[in-house]
Amino acid sequence: MSGISYSEILKLVAPEMLVSLAALAVLAIDLLVMREAPQRYRFWTGAAFAGLGCGLAIAWLLAMNPPPHSMSAGLSLLQGTYADDVLVRLVKVALLVMTLFTLAISMESNFTDHIGEYLALILLATVGMMFLVSSENLLMVFISLELTSLSLYILTAFNKRNVESAEAALKYFLFGGMSAAFTLFGLSLVYGLAGSIQFSEIYSKLHAAKIDTLLLAAIVMTVIGFGFKIAAVPFHLWAPDAYQGAPTPSAAFIASGSKVASFFIFAKLMMQAFAGAEGNGAWRHFTPGWLPVVATVAACSMLLGNLAAIVQGNVKRLLAYSAIAHAGYALLGLLSNSQQGMSSLIYYIVTYGLTVLGAFGVVAIVEERTGDASISSFAGLGRRQPLLGLCMMVFMLSLAGIPPLAGFFGKFYLFTAAIGAGKDMGMLWLVIFAIAMSAVSLYYYLQVLKQIYVVPAVEDSRPIVVPVSSRIILSLLALVVVVLGCAPELLLGRLITAIKLASHQ
Amino acid sequence: MTWIAEHLWLIPILPLAAAGITALTKQAYRRFASSLAIWAMFGALVLSCMAFVSTLGRPTSAANLHEVHNFDWFQIGETTLRLGWVLDPLTAIMLVMVSFVSLLIFIYSVGYMAHDENYTRFFCFLSLFAAAMLGLIISNNLLLLFICWELVGLASYLLIGFWYHKPSAVAAAKKAFITTRIGDVVFFLGILWLYSQAGTLLFYDHGNGCLEKSLLTELVGRTTVGGMAVTTGIGLLIFCGAIGKSGQVPLHVWLPDAMEGPTPVSALIHAATMVAAGVFLMARVFPILDPNSIGVTGSAAALTVVTWVGVITAVFAACIAVAQTDIKRILAYSTVSQLGFMMMGLGVGGVAVGMFHLITHAFFKALLFLGAGSVIHGCHEEQDVRRMGGLRKWMPVTFATYAIGMMALSGVPIFFSGFWSKDEILHAAHGWHVSHAPFYLGIFGALLTAFYMTRQVCYVFFGKYRGESHEQRSALQEKSELVTHSAHSASDPHESPRVMIWPLIILATFAVVLGFIGTPAWPWFQNYLMGKKAVLNFGELVQPDVVSVLLMSTAVVIVGIGLGGWLYGLKSVNSADELDVLERVRPDIYILLKNKFYVNEFYEATIIRFNAWWAEFCDTLDYWVWNGIVLAISYSILGLSWVNRIFDENVINLGFDEGCRELRQGGRLLSLLQNGRVQNYLRIIGIALVVLILALIWGCRAS
Repeated sequence: MSGISYSEILKLVAPEMLVSLAALAVLAIDLLVMREAPQRYRFWTGAAFAGLGCGLAIAWLLAMNPPPHSMSAGLSLLQGTYADDVLVRLVKVALLVMTLFTLAISMESNFTDHIGEYLALILLATVGMMFLVSSENLLMVFISLELTSLSLYILTAFNKRNVESAEAALKYFLFGGMSAAFTLFGLSLVYGLAGSIQFSEIYSKLHAAKIDTLLLAAIVMTVIGFGFKIAAVPFHLWAPDAYQGAPTPSAAFIASGSKVASFFIFAKLMMQAFAGAEGNGAWRHFTPGWLPVVATVAACSMLLGNLAAIVQGNVKRLLAYSAIAHAGYALLGLLSNSQQGMSSLIYYIVTYGLTVLGAFGVVAIVEERTGDASISSFAGLGRRQPLLGLCMMVFMLSLAGIPPLAGFFGKFYLFTAAIGAGKDMGMLWLVIFAIAMSAVSLYYYLQVLKQIYVVPAVEDSRPIVVPVSSRIILSLLALVVVVLGCAPELLLGRLITAIKLASHQ
Repeated sequence: MTWIAEHLWLIPILPLAAAGITALTKQAYRRFASSLAIWAMFGALVLSCMAFVSTLGRPTSAANLHEVHNFDWFQIGETTLRLGWVLDPLTAIMLVMVSFVSLLIFIYSVGYMAHDENYTRFFCFLSLFAAAMLGLIISNNLLLLFICWELVGLASYLLIGFWYHKPSAVAAAKKAFITTRIGDVVFFLGILWLYSQAGTLLFYDHGNGCLEKSLLTELVGRTTVGGMAVTTGIGLLIFCGAIGKSGQVPLHVWLPDAMEGPTPVSALIHAATMVAAGVFLMARVFPILDPNSIGVTGSAAALTVVTWVGVITAVFAACIAVAQTDIKRILAYSTVSQLGFMMMGLGVGGVAVGMFHLITHAFFKALLFLGAGSVIHGCHEEQDVRRMGGLRKWMPVTFATYAIGMMALSGVPIFFSGFWSKDEILHAAHGWHVSHAPFYLGIFGALLTAFYMTRQVCYVFFGKYRGESHEQRSALQEKSELVTHSAHSASDPHESPRVMIWPLIILATFAVVLGFIGTPAWPWFQNYLMGKKAVLNFGELVQPDVVSVLLMSTAVVIVGIGLGGWLYGLKSVNSADELDVLERVRPDIYILLKNKFYVNEFYEATIIRFNAWWAEFCDTLDYWVWNGIVLAISYSILGLSWVNRIFDENVINLGFDEGCRELRQGGRLLSLLQNGRVQNYLRIIGIALVVLILALIWGCRAS
């Protein structure tokens, strides 16, 4: 690691730099040149530049081979401050794609005049996530987490005309600040115990040590920090308010990109750094460690998310509770604590991110046209705007886990990995619980679809006009959901090879 | 292995594809349907000729007489069912005969069926029939053969009942189907028995087939009830299938009735090919009937039965033919009789003798039927020979070809094929070691054949026309629904169109020349089937026993024709209602023959009446006993389901609803957590932290 020159480091972080530059450029152009232009025009120009930055970063990630010595073993610089391997690159590409889609569904909205700032913040949050996924160092994890979170707080508050938005952002911020404090405390305990902030060294110090109270406290506090990011019960309380109050594209971004990055680093931290402190999460065989903690959190998330979603009348709030439930499912991948679990987790959370982006895209349009996002405003959508209705059906059924959509195979792999994990199918109880809960979840997803296809529109049943760009984007997302469901190997195959390569570290 | 032997399956596939496509074709595409069928048949003929040629040039030894191609069909447990096809001289000669005759009849049908509204359907069925028949010929597995055999039966059923608006046609179709099915059931039992004994149904399998020496040697040794060899039992059961299909006594009753179908069908299916399938089957499984033929010592008792059944059929049907007045029925009984001759030939002289008569008969019987069709067509759908007469003036070509066919069938010496093939049978019967009776009965049958054919020709083509006048006919037409050819409204008979005439001429040519491939002087056909080379030797003709049989059969033919000519030709019949000559002489015998020995009536009075009685009995049983039980069960189930419904509505549904309500309630309670106050939220984190850590520490202590 000492033999790397600055130019090589620059080359490595080029994607992050490209996105940062794009953020600055968008800000500058919007403030200096486009100030007087019509809003639509400003959005288009800004989004074009932002998209260009992301696109270049994707191209760089895909085209540039990782440094030769990292091909087999991965690369970890400056005490794990910056790690790079095939898997990390894959996750970064997924993040950038989600950012692109977020930009795309923002373009038609009109909740703010500060377009440059809005887009720049999205990009900065993206930079934070990119650093987050490529760090193997506690301090770097925390810094990236904060960069991401702060950007997201502001994005949540961006609709300044709406008092709900401000309230939601404040709650989000307070909650986030509190959990960040817990996280930092937990991480500092870990540092105190292990004497290092690098994942691999923490592992070598801790895996042989006896699990004592201090380590348990450290683990619980770390879990709290990430539990907040991924909105798992009981650290989820910000989510329903934030999702409902935030401008829809911001909510979509929180639900998709931020989730992917957080889940990835959460899993990496637990599986790598705390590899010796799993404990046992099997039914009636609990032994302390992070597995039982995560198992409890997962079970609570599935229970609360699904049950609370049933009674929601607002689709954004419904999606928030569904996000909580999905966090519970996805934690199963972490619980299997294996390569298969990791690949199924990433596959699940990426397809979930894409699906939920699409769902929020539809919600954004409906909210824009009918004034609110309550379930009843979806009534008759299937006739008023058939394409939109069809896309929403694909997204909802995928979230519910109906084959042949991506959500089904995601769940399938997750559950398979979880059943195979550990000794004697120890996670079976949780898998059975998850399956039962996903049966419950069908109820509220179908309620949305019932509004779209069965209930006639009450009044104002004129067709909803949707811009061509939105149609293309939503259809594309729906198509991706279908294709990934029919041919999961497209993504899963790459993930499995990447994880195999990365594990040789 | 030659290419054609490898790809023999192409031959049945062509007409099968044609049938499939035609089945999907609209009725309006008449030309398309007929040309497709004809070209597919032509393709099959070309391939058949290729197969035939390839068997000609083959090195001659018994070992590679049969080229087989077997493949696995499916597997059940340890048992693999293998199907396959075989190319040997028997297959090749049948292929050529069937595809050639079929092609001619297809072409003939274009003219004959020109005015039928179900033209496309007709060609679909014809193609299906041809496909099944060709498949039957090439199959190397008794089961595959049986499948095709049943398909042939189905096609026959569909074609006999083609004019389904005629009740008689429907009845005839049903009769044919059911009667042949009786034989088929027994045949199937034979197949099962063979499979249980031999473990394979393949005919030839490189030494392991059921017709090959090693396996047959084993089978011959086993005996069953009454000390009968297993092969004899199996052979007899298989022969029952042939009895049904080839119209042997006592299952011959369906064949004359089958003449209700369109004439090309009668010619193709019920004269030339399908009915010969039984004879072909016997030729195919000949080693089972007579193991000695492939050098295995064993009982040939089955073959004796075949011979006797054949002889009886031959004479029996010939007698009936003498007293019939329907032109097609005469020919039908003649067919039954000739099939009897074939069976007899197989029994007394082996495969070659029976097959030779089968081939020649196929051609001249097809010729006769097509000629009869031409006559019927020319006489406005009239089938009663008494209402014809003097047609040679109007229909010269039909007359000429019909005469050739008649002479071939009667066995007029030297120039006609029937003479040589029938002579072969009589010659073999003469030398049969079991009994001489078949020989004398055969001679008598030949005499009758010549007699009834002469009678028919005299009735139809000589004398004066006895048909209805124009006025009578049109009055009749108005009354009847029958669609006839309004274009030919003239009352005079007329010659048929060219598309019908040419097949007649071609068939007539073959009816003459085919005889020369199997004369005693140059027995090419017989040697070809054995895989040997034929030598031309006129000396054979003057062997004393050959000459004596030749002369005797010549004499018989001359007597038969002379008698017929004397009775029916010299003094022409004047009116349709005039009594038959024989009827005037011996009315009792004539009536007996005219009513076909009352076989139908006998069946009516015995089997069918018993069947009806049994059906009634079963119906009563069904109504009072079984129905009662079923009702009781169903009422008890209804009661049960009523209880179930009560339970379902009050326990399960209510329980489920209650569960759902609880779930919603739970959701509502949980969302109360979300009261919007941040202080609460933060408090919850704190509580969670404490609870989790405490739980873990407790767990730590516990472990």
